Amino acid sequence: MANSTISRILAAAAGAIVSAGAAAQSPQTVPEPVIPAQVDRRDVHVPKIKANDVEIGAFAGILSVQSFGTKPSAGLRLGYHVTEDYFIEGTYGRSKVSDQAYRRLGIPIFSSEEVPLTYYNLSIGVNLFPGEVFVGKDWAMTSAVYLVGGVGNVKFNNEGHTAYNFGIGIRVLPKDWFSVRFEIRDHMFSSDLLGKNELTHNFEMTLGLAAYF
Amino acid sequence: MRMGAGDRYAYKTDPTHLAGWCLCALFALAAHGTWAEEANERVTVADPYLELHTGPGRGYPIFDIAQRGESVEILKRHTDWFKVRTERRKEGWVSRAQMEATLTEAGETKTFRDVLFEDYLARRMEFGFSFGRLKHDPLLSAYTGYRLHENFVAELTVAQSTGDFSTTSLYYVSLVSQPFPDSRWSPFFSLGAGRFTNAPKATLVSAAETSGGLANAAIGLRYYVTRQFFLRVEARRHVALINYNSADHFNELSAGAAFFF
Repeated sequence: MANSTISRILAAAAGAIVSAGAAAQSPQTVPEPVIPAQVDRRDVHVPKIKANDVEIGAFAGILSVQSFGTKPSAGLRLGYHVTEDYFIEGTYGRSKVSDQAYRRLGIPIFSSEEVPLTYYNLSIGVNLFPGEVFVGKDWAMTSAVYLVGGVGNVKFNNEGHTAYNFGIGIRVLPKDWFSVRFEIRDHMFSSDLLGKNELTHNFEMTLGLAAYF
Repeated sequence: MRMGAGDRYAYKTDPTHLAGWCLCALFALAAHGTWAEEANERVTVADPYLELHTGPGRGYPIFDIAQRGESVEILKRHTDWFKVRTERRKEGWVSRAQMEATLTEAGETKTFRDVLFEDYLARRMEFGFSFGRLKHDPLLSAYTGYRLHENFVAELTVAQSTGDFSTTSLYYVSLVSQPFPDSRWSPFFSLGAGRFTNAPKATLVSAAETSGGLANAAIGLRYYVTRQFFLRVEARRHVALINYNSADHFNELSAGAAFFF
């Protein structure tokens, strides 16, 4: 209580001093500024620039499965370009395998002559040798050779196999949102379908189209 | 995720056909994106000149320049490269390092900063994949995470391990705690629960598919590398609840890469 009384007295005193000061200044007029301020408030913003680091595409080609024939293959790819040098990519593909050769000898391996094959993998790619591809006199397209490798799964005849893949390809960009890729990849996995567990090399050659988002 | 009779029927649609349709849809989308152009950002060159490359990479040749004081329009970005259009209607790619030395219309600088550690700390969504070993068999896993709190991330993981005798699939949700989220090297602890399926190889006789509940716990370490990119390693112990009175334990050790958005 005592405190609040003191503070009220102080406030009153301060008020009196201020009003006295104001009274002393009142006859003076506010001087015109020498340089009138011309301040425009500008909109400061960080530019929003559309990025296209995501590559979504489809491919088709042929897949040769060791001992089980060569068949058409097709699939989808989803990639993300981390830097100008590296990208990561997920692939899902489908094809078929055939035991026709063994059937002819009377030792069928699969339940039917052709069975579906599906695979997926996650891979890391490195862009090498950036350059340009020239078509005619007026058209130049940027291009790059890339190496890609990763790990995934190959499934056929109701059996999955952990597969390591390694490949090389060339990517050409007719537009900067659109790419064309030609690639050769080896899908390596161990299989015991022919009685002995051994590492098989299964080459796939594909042509892919993709768009950048 | 189950591969069964349905999968075989789905196959009857020709794979090339499927890819073709998907591609058509994609190009429709991408083309739409390029037509719907909004007003582009403009900047003024403050360095002596900007180098215009033919492609988004340091290896692509420089074919033109934009001089100091010239105004350029920014069309798009690809990784650390910006596609610009000069006053003379030339289009080329400029590195982020050079773009940093330009001025915006408002006279601002330093607007082309890289994704920084601060962005890593402010992240919401994560996506990653890893490769490792699950009880001597190779294991491939993918996860997506949502940051609930400074210290907690909720994760959904799908993993598959194909060994010599069987294929094991794991699906689980986990809560990840990071005691030091502000650190570039950040240890974490995780507790998860989900389901597993173990399908023996078709060549094995009298083996049946097993499935059941799954619980797991892990400790790990993550390291923020650059941009939207970080690495993580973890050691996880899984408990597979096969039935009411039997459970199996197995250990996982994996390492992988992840991104945040």
